[in-house]
Amino acid sequence: MSSFLTKRLTYMVIILLAASMMIFFLYAMTPGDFISGNLKLSPERKAELRGIYGLNKPILERYGNWLGNALHGNFGYSLAQQKPVLTLFNEYIWNSFLLAVVSTFLTWFIAVIIGVVAAYKQYSWFDTLVMVVIFAAMSVPSFFIGLYLIKIAAVDLKWLPPGGMLNTGSNATGMEYVKEVLQHMTLPVIVMTLLGLGSLTRYFRSNMIDVIQQDYIRTARAKGLKERKVLFTHALRNALLPAITLVGFELPALFGGSLIIEKIFNWPGIGQLYMQSFSLRDYPLLMGFTMLIAILSVIGTLLSDILYRIADPRVKV
Amino acid sequence: MKKRIILLSSLLLASSTLLAACSSGGSDSASDAASQNSDAAQTAATAQPLTSLVQASDLSKLPEVSQKRSDTIIVGLTDPAGVFTPYFNQSGYDGNVISQLWTPLVTVDEKGLPLPNLAKSWDISKDNLTYRFHLVPGTKFSDGSPLTAEDVAFTWTLIYDKAYPGDSQIRKLNIKGGKDYTEGKAKQIAGIKVIDEQTISATLEKPNALALPILGEYVLSKAYYGKDYKFGELDYFKNLHSSPLGNGAYKLEKFIPGQEVRLEANDYFFKGKPKTQHFIYKTAEGDAWQFIETGDTDFSQFTATQENIDKLKGLGFLNILPYTPSTYGYLQVNLENEKLKDKKVRQALTYGLDRKSIYVDAAQGAGAVANIPASPIFWSYTTDGINPYNYDPEQAKKLLDEAGWVEGSDGIREKNGQKLTIHLLTSKRPETDTFIALAAENYKAIGVDLQPEIFADFNAMVAKVEGKDYDLAAFSTGMLTDPSDGIEQFVNGEVKGYNNPKVKELYEKGLSTTNMEERKKIYQELYVLLNDELPVIFTNYKKTVYAYNGRMEHVKVSPFIGLSGNLFEWSLK
Repeated sequence: MSSFLTKRLTYMVIILLAASMMIFFLYAMTPGDFISGNLKLSPERKAELRGIYGLNKPILERYGNWLGNALHGNFGYSLAQQKPVLTLFNEYIWNSFLLAVVSTFLTWFIAVIIGVVAAYKQYSWFDTLVMVVIFAAMSVPSFFIGLYLIKIAAVDLKWLPPGGMLNTGSNATGMEYVKEVLQHMTLPVIVMTLLGLGSLTRYFRSNMIDVIQQDYIRTARAKGLKERKVLFTHALRNALLPAITLVGFELPALFGGSLIIEKIFNWPGIGQLYMQSFSLRDYPLLMGFTMLIAILSVIGTLLSDILYRIADPRVKV
Repeated sequence: MKKRIILLSSLLLASSTLLAACSSGGSDSASDAASQNSDAAQTAATAQPLTSLVQASDLSKLPEVSQKRSDTIIVGLTDPAGVFTPYFNQSGYDGNVISQLWTPLVTVDEKGLPLPNLAKSWDISKDNLTYRFHLVPGTKFSDGSPLTAEDVAFTWTLIYDKAYPGDSQIRKLNIKGGKDYTEGKAKQIAGIKVIDEQTISATLEKPNALALPILGEYVLSKAYYGKDYKFGELDYFKNLHSSPLGNGAYKLEKFIPGQEVRLEANDYFFKGKPKTQHFIYKTAEGDAWQFIETGDTDFSQFTATQENIDKLKGLGFLNILPYTPSTYGYLQVNLENEKLKDKKVRQALTYGLDRKSIYVDAAQGAGAVANIPASPIFWSYTTDGINPYNYDPEQAKKLLDEAGWVEGSDGIREKNGQKLTIHLLTSKRPETDTFIALAAENYKAIGVDLQPEIFADFNAMVAKVEGKDYDLAAFSTGMLTDPSDGIEQFVNGEVKGYNNPKVKELYEKGLSTTNMEERKKIYQELYVLLNDELPVIFTNYKKTVYAYNGRMEHVKVSPFIGLSGNLFEWSLK
């Protein structure tokens, strides 16, 4: 195990280094920089400012500086917001995390149950209905569902707030605060869960169908085990194994924020921040964020590999 | 030219929540937009555009949340970043917040002309070089500390620091000795003199009609912002952006990133404590409609299309105020491109573009055709001697013939074996599709092949324009406060390849005097000249409406400085 880990960690470092180079050069070579968007500046002043912000230095030198600082945990200052990049992440990322964690949990929970039942009752009316609903949910764009829900639940019926995370001007604390946040996150969580549900349910359903046709399930039944036990202990465990790989992919998504959902529901998350920073070419923030996602992806893959090894010792990674 | 990031973002997001960006100052007598608009209305020929304030028809329809608020006004703002220090903010949204936290020395009236504010009066020397300001005695910052001439001197000096990272216009004024200070040759700026606690003067190297509003901007407290000041090291400012110390109607209560900026009445505001205790800028990235409909915000801006106006009227609880921003739209022309160097081609492209259909009719009346670089609300606006370039394909064809472009076998004009193909860059906005479709059709009719390229990303489009890889590029200016702002781009090298000594001379002349009648004549001459030469193709003026909670009283909005003008008087019925 330890040599496996050392090898994996070395790979990780190399991958991240390559990723950082790609990220930096891609951003630096995208047309337009932070200064060019400000048409108010004269050409001379633009040149001066590029000097002050260090944008006029050779690209390799800029990369070297950035990497050196990043290795010391310093991701620099956002150009647009004039704050340390890490402080900004801290201000926005947990809001995204909250939405993502709750909706991911709901998605998995519901998908497993529906998937198992649908597989067990394959081709029944329940299975058909589930498949139809799932295809419908998968094919409608998120912004449409989002806006439609806002129209119905917030504007017309006034059940839930149309957006944001708190009532404007609210000074709620304690339970009141929790209640407000819950109210505000209901709609976005519904949309995110609906969107994730489709593919995952189909995934579990087909895994489950494969598994319940296996010999050992027949053996389990032959032993006289209760059907519920056969399904949820013997079959589900094996059907879930391949899903461990998916867990790894969820990690960056938890912190990455969902741009469209955050925008529609005016949720103060990192996805929105990222998009705004992109249109302004706020390099330190863009690079810091992309690096963070890269790190999370690599860690996520590592985690899922380790988990897989623990769950199924036959697997050699 | 005052173009701000707020504008750029608006191009991208086409957000209707945009509020007027703060420009150079705040005002205590904002315009009566109703009277302003009558002029503008005449230039638009479609269905009856709104010309005066429409009162809410049924206040009982007001949503409960908004009915319950007693001491808070909430306004949507796209995306405040949290840099709440004047001269340092990178976005116009932060500028909006700053304009509530600070009040300037000099403000502007409804015509855009200077008015006393924190400076109760000023003297300008005979040679138009020295500006002496007399401050209102006894004014204070929001922590109760006094505001004096020393603070003003500190503020001006700071802008000349070599590490100053912002876009303040003060540097452009060339205060005497400013350059020496920037280069580290002098410990102080020779042209800035503190005469006594209430009096300060600045001497310029050459006259500039804009000196008054530019010098008359916000004042930073020296005791607070200058405590750690060392020449060439301004990094410490970054730690102060989130805890601003201003002297405006409101002070910062709390900034919740991505959610809202809470402001609280400033007890020390020199015109008296504001009538409403709390003012909140709610970050409203999404649809402005849902927030105004549910009563989550009290005030929003919309394009003045008939559809929007009808919908707003239908809600019943909103007052609707029509408004023409001080901006103008244009197609930048690549003048270094051989085929566009000929004035006749540019004129033909203007005659051949049905601007009324595109910018007025297709926008349901939310616009007017522009022919000069000044908005109809300007004191310098005129139609005297101005060619309106009414849509006239025949005239366009004639001009192209004269310029030597003859129709080829495929209907596209040619000259010296080159086809008259025009590459047009534009950014992605809701109205872009209409524009492209109509323009392509218009140009095809006169034998011009239009090749549009639509950018979702504004910076990328600017980079392409800077690389001169274009023929036409669609732009709009930011808020302009002075007639010279609209002309600056033809003089400072921004419109590349345009070098007309006459324009330069008139521009300088317009800035060297403060006599308005004289300036009016100069600008008229400039407008006629630019209208004939068309270094850019003028396209349109926008029309918008403000919609606000019918309970709000004493609301005035200045076309030049937005809400900040009389915010302290806003109250809830």
